Amino acid sequence: MTLTRIGLAFVVAAVLSTGVGAADYHHVHLTTSNATEAIGWYTRYLDCEPLTDRDDGVECGGAQVVFDSRPTLGSSQRTGIDHISFSYADLTAKMAELEAVGVGGSGVRLQRFPDGSTLRDISGLFKVGFIFDPWGTRIELVEDDQTIGFHHIHLNASDPAATLAWYQESFGGESASLRNRIDGVRMGDIWLLAMPYEDGVPAATAGRAIDHIAFSVTDMDSAVSGLRSRDAEILEEPMVPSGGRTAARRAFIGGPDNVSLAVVEAGFAGVDAEIEAPVDITTELQPYTVPRTPWGTPDFQGVWTGDAAHGIPLQRPEDMTDLSSLTAEEAAARRERGTLGSIWGYESEWRDTTLGYVKSTPSRQVAMVIDPQDGRLPPMTAEAQARTANRVDTSGVRRIAEGPEDLSPWVRCITRSLVPTPGVYNNGMQIVQGPGHVALQREMIHETRVIPTDSSPHVGSDITSWLGDARGYWDGDTLVVEIRNFNGQVPYQGSSDNLTMTERYTRTGPDTLEYQFMLNDPTVWTRPWTGMFTFVRDETQYELVEYACHEGNYGMTNILSGARAREADEGR
Amino acid sequence: MSKWQSAQLTSIVVLLAVFSLTTRVVIAQSSDVPRAFDGHPDLNGVWQAIGTAHWDIQDHPASAGPPDMGAIGAIPPGQGVVVGNVIPYRPEALEQKQQNFENRWTDDPELKCFMPGVPRATYLPYPFRIIQGDRKIMLVYGFAEANRTVHMDKDNPEPPPLDTWMGRSHGSWDGDTLVIDAVGFNGESWLDRAGNFASNGLHVVERYTPMGANVLMYEATIEDPNVFTEPWTMRMPLYRRLEENAQVLEYKCVEFTEDLLYGHLRREPTR
Repeated sequence: MTLTRIGLAFVVAAVLSTGVGAADYHHVHLTTSNATEAIGWYTRYLDCEPLTDRDDGVECGGAQVVFDSRPTLGSSQRTGIDHISFSYADLTAKMAELEAVGVGGSGVRLQRFPDGSTLRDISGLFKVGFIFDPWGTRIELVEDDQTIGFHHIHLNASDPAATLAWYQESFGGESASLRNRIDGVRMGDIWLLAMPYEDGVPAATAGRAIDHIAFSVTDMDSAVSGLRSRDAEILEEPMVPSGGRTAARRAFIGGPDNVSLAVVEAGFAGVDAEIEAPVDITTELQPYTVPRTPWGTPDFQGVWTGDAAHGIPLQRPEDMTDLSSLTAEEAAARRERGTLGSIWGYESEWRDTTLGYVKSTPSRQVAMVIDPQDGRLPPMTAEAQARTANRVDTSGVRRIAEGPEDLSPWVRCITRSLVPTPGVYNNGMQIVQGPGHVALQREMIHETRVIPTDSSPHVGSDITSWLGDARGYWDGDTLVVEIRNFNGQVPYQGSSDNLTMTERYTRTGPDTLEYQFMLNDPTVWTRPWTGMFTFVRDETQYELVEYACHEGNYGMTNILSGARAREADEGR
Repeated sequence: MSKWQSAQLTSIVVLLAVFSLTTRVVIAQSSDVPRAFDGHPDLNGVWQAIGTAHWDIQDHPASAGPPDMGAIGAIPPGQGVVVGNVIPYRPEALEQKQQNFENRWTDDPELKCFMPGVPRATYLPYPFRIIQGDRKIMLVYGFAEANRTVHMDKDNPEPPPLDTWMGRSHGSWDGDTLVIDAVGFNGESWLDRAGNFASNGLHVVERYTPMGANVLMYEATIEDPNVFTEPWTMRMPLYRRLEENAQVLEYKCVEFTEDLLYGHLRREPTR
């Protein structure tokens, strides 16, 4: 287990008096990718307050939560610490407030109950609901009028009774029962609860969204020797950590069910940690010789993914006009936001970009648009502006699909898009080459584009199609693909059937393939514009498996039958 | 296995191979077969089957199609592509085939623009392109965006990760013949518009043998113990499309099936 812990630490610093163990609940340590953003999120949505004596944590209703800045290895679910909990006097109002926030950007991800509700009133207990923070920490919100504020930490345990006994023996607190229904250990106002984990052994908490829990002790040496005598694994002997803000010592202990625990001396105030910079795929500057196929063209063959580019906005955000690139942490946070803020029904295992699964380092590119240089789309033509102005504003109006044609070509399983903008899954692209042809197979939605590079002419202009007629040629090490004859039915950023598109694929390193796409549509834009992102080769874990979209399009049936049911309900 | 047993088996295999060659259409290696960089036949190009196998892979007389479609929808007579014309169905599978035939105008996956499976993709009335590189061969079909990656670079064929419409294909060269071993099918595909079918136990061995520059002899040996009592083979030539600038054009047929599949769910139902 690595002890270079720079995880986002939820430090619950509650000064609690304990008897036997002479230990206090000190903090819970969570991992987020950007402490500053995390402080803002917890302040805005969970009514916490920034700590005044340090810049990496918040105080939440009687407990401190401290954040480390580094990419997390994934959600807290299925680790030894499943979630943390806050109690509100009016949970119905709180959940409504959080639901209204929405999921865009660093929004709030609600974990709904199977019937779609956001909270449930549990008989004999109280109301409960679940959310996730943008970095994967699962948070239970409860309405326990006996304890408002930070409420509990809920462990996943192979043997809950034994686990609770271990904590009580090790750190004190009193055995108690929450509303005579849930056994736990009470430390001051904070509950430590444990639920049975029946799916093998919970995953290690280290590096996950909830990294560890910390307890403070008055006598470090006797505390550690006491733990040692109970056969606890001492992961890190007591020491003043490198970068420690005070002279207080800290030790790391392996608790039951792969839970990491810190034991700290009074006055411990965290660590000024060096951020470990991940390998940056965008700065491979060594001269690179592109390999050749046996017939002499550059060789791009293999399985590539756009996972690294997931989260890059098309246009430069207004508040990033002077930024040349994101920091590694900002890039990790952005991709993680994009992943967590995406399709709700999909569990983390479905998402290729979930931390802990994804292998590629997130791109630090600020925006995809590289021309114009300001990263913004060029002005629209007067004709396009007039058309846009005359369009009825339907934003905010829930449209009910009258038929399949009201849904996007992607939902209809016809085509994904002219530009394979990376999403949370199926970003793979397999390239197979033969003399005179390059096949670009997009995983989403099993579309294969065959690009002739044999100087054959375009087909006649009356043969229009969804993805157009492509012809390619080699410009040095770059594959240039010119596409025309679009049918205009899958517009990109408002493009028309007058669009021509030029793609440029350049292998910039053994595992990087730069993809540029230029859109030229004089009907819509006053000048052509170009976007760019980089595919990363990943053949160690990636193979394209047939994505039979249309063949299994139950979504279409469900959407349309849902629309008909809604109309019937509304008497239309 | 001892060396002696191994040698004996080898000789039996050789004898069988010789025997099967004599029963097969004589396929001569031709000197006008174009060659790839590595000396193997160069199969790159656009190919298409000509005939009526897409209607029925067995011998069949002319018959009526949907009445409104007149002669355009009628089924022309055709000579089958099944070697010996008999498909050795198990009795219950033959019943299923007959049921499929009865329901062919509603149940055929081709109606719905579903991927056609193997070998059906080969002899649908659409062209397909072979892209032959050094590690993979890709077959891109002109119907339903179907395509297959043939792994030529796997010494030990890997089991398919899951069942799919087009299966998982591993290829090798047997002299001038490209041999593709395909498994991992989902059992949803039919073999033609007459309701011939296989299950997810299907194992197809395809052989593509050049007979000159512009013709491939195509053989597919079908093995599926769930459906057939023994393996059987279909065989037909595939012709190179020689038109100037012949291409496999994008044919996204999904939109033409939406009324069929979802018309009853429209606000104004059409079905």
